[in-house]
Amino acid sequence: MSIFEYNGSALIAMVGKNCFAIASDRRLGVQLQTVATDFQRIYKIHDGLFLGLSGLATDAQTLYQRLVFRHKLYKLREERDMKPETFASLVSAILYEKRFGPYFCQPVIAGLSDEDKPFICTMDSIGAKELAKDFVVAGTASESLYGACEAMFKPDMEPEELFETVSQALLSSVDRDCLSGWGGHVYVVTTTEVKERILKGRMD
Amino acid sequence: MTKQQANWSPYDNNGGSCVAIAGADYCVVAADTRMSTGYNILTRDYSKICKLADKAVMASSGFQADVKALQKLLAARHLIYQHQHNKQMSCPAMAQLLSNTLYYKRFFPYYSFNVLGGLDNEGKGCVFTYDAVGSYERVGYSSQGSGSTLIMPFLDNQLKSPSPLLLPAQDAVTPLSEAEAVDLVKTVFASATERDIYTGDKLEIVVLNADGIRREYMELRKD
Repeated sequence: MSIFEYNGSALIAMVGKNCFAIASDRRLGVQLQTVATDFQRIYKIHDGLFLGLSGLATDAQTLYQRLVFRHKLYKLREERDMKPETFASLVSAILYEKRFGPYFCQPVIAGLSDEDKPFICTMDSIGAKELAKDFVVAGTASESLYGACEAMFKPDMEPEELFETVSQALLSSVDRDCLSGWGGHVYVVTTTEVKERILKGRMD
Repeated sequence: MTKQQANWSPYDNNGGSCVAIAGADYCVVAADTRMSTGYNILTRDYSKICKLADKAVMASSGFQADVKALQKLLAARHLIYQHQHNKQMSCPAMAQLLSNTLYYKRFFPYYSFNVLGGLDNEGKGCVFTYDAVGSYERVGYSSQGSGSTLIMPFLDNQLKSPSPLLLPAQDAVTPLSEAEAVDLVKTVFASATERDIYTGDKLEIVVLNADGIRREYMELRKD
């Protein structure tokens, strides 16, 4: 079994009209054994920037701690929050530092950049950025997620419709992957508010 | 000096995706027409679909040489059946034959991932899905091949019960009409073509119903 499949994970980020959604599954496993059913994979860096980390859970937690530290330092120096594009470059640089002994994570970054335009990106475990205009996926269920998102995505969806689309895509995809599931965690972010919702799906 | 390892494999994967959907009185079987090896395309116009009997159509992805051998064998066995029983094989009968044929080569398998679609003895649509060594199950819909991981979740979403919490699991609340099913197949292949490099070029759709067998084609992205 690959090291990326040790804990199991599923992540989606999708762009809507002046909003974005970022969602994850809730399972934490140790190979075939489920160990937690409420595991947090998506972290808020600031009100307009969210980070999802798939892959090996210990590396995801360490990476999150390092990135929060760097953002807090940035806030002290610059007296403002980091822009999503800048944060993405920071994550990329931190991952590439460990080029020959990498963190076994695939991050998904979603935020609102200048003029409240939604920004999403993902990268591989050594920091190769992939900017997308529609959606990005990561985790053990990534192939299923690609298929579901590609079929269900429409450009310029309003927050409510975006939530429905992301939820349906996430739940259908994790139902075909043994290592992810046990419900979903969806954040829909607009300029004015952040709506966090928990989905109940197949609990297996 | 390190020991020399053999690096010849009797198998190759020619890629491609297949889908079959069963309806109340029809069955849709579809596959793309791209045949590839590694990162190269061998041809953009290769049919993965084979009519085994009047009411049984098989679509197979995987190693096309093994698929061709399998189709030849099944056609020959069907001919013998027709001589002995003076009738065509029914779809469930062909399903069992395919399973046995695949398991016969359990220790040097046909590298062939099949979906068999057709009409059962009552005229209702039926789909059987297989693994490479003949394990099979009758289902309402299925996909196999390189794009199947992308296609299956979306088919589950559209065709399986509306909530995963409904028990017993219903196969579909409102059964699709033939036109809706063909539309769904086209949508699903367009999506799979975007994200799977081995799927594309053209889509071949075969529809079986009480009136007979009908064939339809749709262009897909060629990149």
